[in-house]
Amino acid sequence: MALHPNVDPDKILEKAHHVQDGMDISGHWNRMFEQRVIRDYTPELLDKVTALSGGESLGWCYQCAQCVPVCPVDAVGSYGPRKIFRRTQTGADLFASPDLWQCTTCMNCLRVCPKEVDMIQIMPAVREQAVLAGNVPDELQKAFENTSSYGNPLGESPKKRAAWTTRSKAPVPLMKEKKRAELLWFVECYPSYHPRGIDASLALARVLNHLGVDFGILGNDERCSCDSQRLAGEVGLFEECAEHNIKQLQRYQTERVLVTDPHALNAFRREYPRLGGEFETIHYTTFLADRMAELGMSRPLGVKVTFHDPCYLGRHHGEYDAPRRMLRAIPGVELLEMGRCRENSYCCGGGGGGMWLDGFMSDHVNMRLSENRVVEAVETGADVLAVCCPLEVSRFEDAVKSQGCEGKLVVKDIIELVVEAMGPDNDS
Amino acid sequence: MSERPILVVGGGPAGMEATRGLAAAGYRAVLVEKRDELGGTPVSGSYAALTPDFRDAGEAMAEMAATIQGDPLVDIRTGSRVTDASGQAGAFAVTVEGPGGSEQLEVGAVILATGFQHFDPGRETQQYGYYEYDDVLTLVDLERMLKTGQVLVPSTGKPPERLCFIQCVGSRDRQIGNEYCSKVCCGVAAKESIEVRKLVPDCRVFVFYIDMRMYGYWEPQIYWVSQEQHHVNYIKGIATQITRTKDGRLLVRGEDTTMGRPMEVPMDMVVLSVGMEPSPGTIEMAGVFGLALNKYRFIDTLGGALDTVTTSVPGIFACGAATGPADLEDSVSSAAAAAMKAIGVVRRAALAGST
Repeated sequence: MALHPNVDPDKILEKAHHVQDGMDISGHWNRMFEQRVIRDYTPELLDKVTALSGGESLGWCYQCAQCVPVCPVDAVGSYGPRKIFRRTQTGADLFASPDLWQCTTCMNCLRVCPKEVDMIQIMPAVREQAVLAGNVPDELQKAFENTSSYGNPLGESPKKRAAWTTRSKAPVPLMKEKKRAELLWFVECYPSYHPRGIDASLALARVLNHLGVDFGILGNDERCSCDSQRLAGEVGLFEECAEHNIKQLQRYQTERVLVTDPHALNAFRREYPRLGGEFETIHYTTFLADRMAELGMSRPLGVKVTFHDPCYLGRHHGEYDAPRRMLRAIPGVELLEMGRCRENSYCCGGGGGGMWLDGFMSDHVNMRLSENRVVEAVETGADVLAVCCPLEVSRFEDAVKSQGCEGKLVVKDIIELVVEAMGPDNDS
Repeated sequence: MSERPILVVGGGPAGMEATRGLAAAGYRAVLVEKRDELGGTPVSGSYAALTPDFRDAGEAMAEMAATIQGDPLVDIRTGSRVTDASGQAGAFAVTVEGPGGSEQLEVGAVILATGFQHFDPGRETQQYGYYEYDDVLTLVDLERMLKTGQVLVPSTGKPPERLCFIQCVGSRDRQIGNEYCSKVCCGVAAKESIEVRKLVPDCRVFVFYIDMRMYGYWEPQIYWVSQEQHHVNYIKGIATQITRTKDGRLLVRGEDTTMGRPMEVPMDMVVLSVGMEPSPGTIEMAGVFGLALNKYRFIDTLGGALDTVTTSVPGIFACGAATGPADLEDSVSSAAAAAMKAIGVVRRAALAGST
């Protein structure tokens, strides 16, 4: 913060940063030392954004503010799409601003925007420039590097990508051996490596076998679909991963690709085709919703369940019903809706790179998005928060702990509830 | 050879003014109106008072109708529709179907004054819960209520303590496709806010807006009056959502943009300031007469700012809200311009025929 030349910094009683008795009281009063009068606007900063391919629509904002009340980040901070336009117009360089990393690309702003200002295009376009310039929050950079080195953002060994299958009672065939299968299951990173993701993968493997589905996985030949890295600005890395995955998929004969992760669904449906990878792709909830009666679910669960719509399944791809149809088909499940559901569903905070920005975000929000969501889930009186995106289980489980809701709410993937209702696995 | 009559389609303010103008200049006019009475949307929509001058809408429309009813040069056909048209400037043959059956008329020129319809706030999106909450109304619903002389919260039957308007509903919106400003909704909301304050003096009235578009005299006539004399609160920032509070009130969520702060304010009634769309009659008549529509499906006019009434077919003119959002002042002004141009067509045709 620049001080007026007549101000002697040593005589300022309110320091720019001051900690008193362990409490940080920096900032607020110091505002009076900032220049209050706006001497000029900064159309050139706006031009920098709108000149980018994908950045054009930021310049269309007419400040109606419909985006702000539905922005999940604004609900816990002071970031809002409308404010991005205004701040850019009044001197904030988005390329260097903390605002650049807060958008989760959840798309709720675009849903209500009368001008179609498209943050799903704007953010990756500007972030790409920041990435090229090396201005990336450290933890996000780490996720990029892990993806680049190991093919997954968790930094796990690519040789162990299929290791989870050894724990599966139900066979999980590899495409390498099978060569052709009706359904190629693209497992993705968190379902392959994260302990809670693996729980869901094991459950899905059991269900697919029970249904007699002819399927296979890429195993260690699979890499991250990389859609979230793309949205976080790492376009080069995305293309590298995408080209690898497309090449792998093209080696085999398959009718459809089945995904566990809605972010992979987005990559396969919207991004891979322009790189030559045309695959009919379906989310596991859409695939299973019609076949629930075949699962012989004989054990009523006796639970109240509320469901969190993943942004990339619901708003981005219009699938709101399949997960609900699955839940309603499970015996002993009472479905309770949260206030913010379906089209207006709240974001877990994991999308668009948010998965790898929790530390960074903690400086800008008063609670995590996942925590805000868990509080809402508890308010419904549900015992279970059901999810169907692999980023969510761990995020919401952490939030349940941090909000002191342990014992009140458990987080489960829908597929976990399905196998619970199927009873113990005695197949093998 | 004498001039053929001029056909006017639509008996609202624009159509009545065009007809009056033709007759005043000594020309014969046939006015075809599909409804059983003249007066157009101000009458069929049960408007209470006109914007901006608070004149009783029914009285004002009746007064306009009286200027043409009984005039020997004017042939008024209510309950009638134009179903077919052929010919060219100076000599059109049109089929009019009415209570007495179908009839073929020879006319020299045509003026379309087929107007608009109000945007249906449940059509594209349920964003504001118009069909979900009884206490969410439109400007038109409130107008009807004002006409009864009572403003009551539909769900409780009691006068509202807090009422708000939400502007730009169905206008200025790329997603809905209505990219235009509907021109009148700001003024109508300000007018209605004054009427609500007069009828229910204890009711706090708020207007949530993006820009208040009070062109010309509307600024001092209604906007300033509503704020300065009737203490209506104008708040910059459009509400995004309406939900219900635990005590059954409506909760309006949005952002106060000048404060940069979220707002969640309770209301007893929410009035959606719905804009204009082309009426079904406008689209239908464009089909019958082979006229080009613009991208919003209003009748396209070719002359830009300096000729607001000439359509893609010579001898056929359009006026009022058939060509795009228009207030009463615009409508009667363009009606007069259309009448003058139509007279030009039939007079020139008659002169050519007599030489």
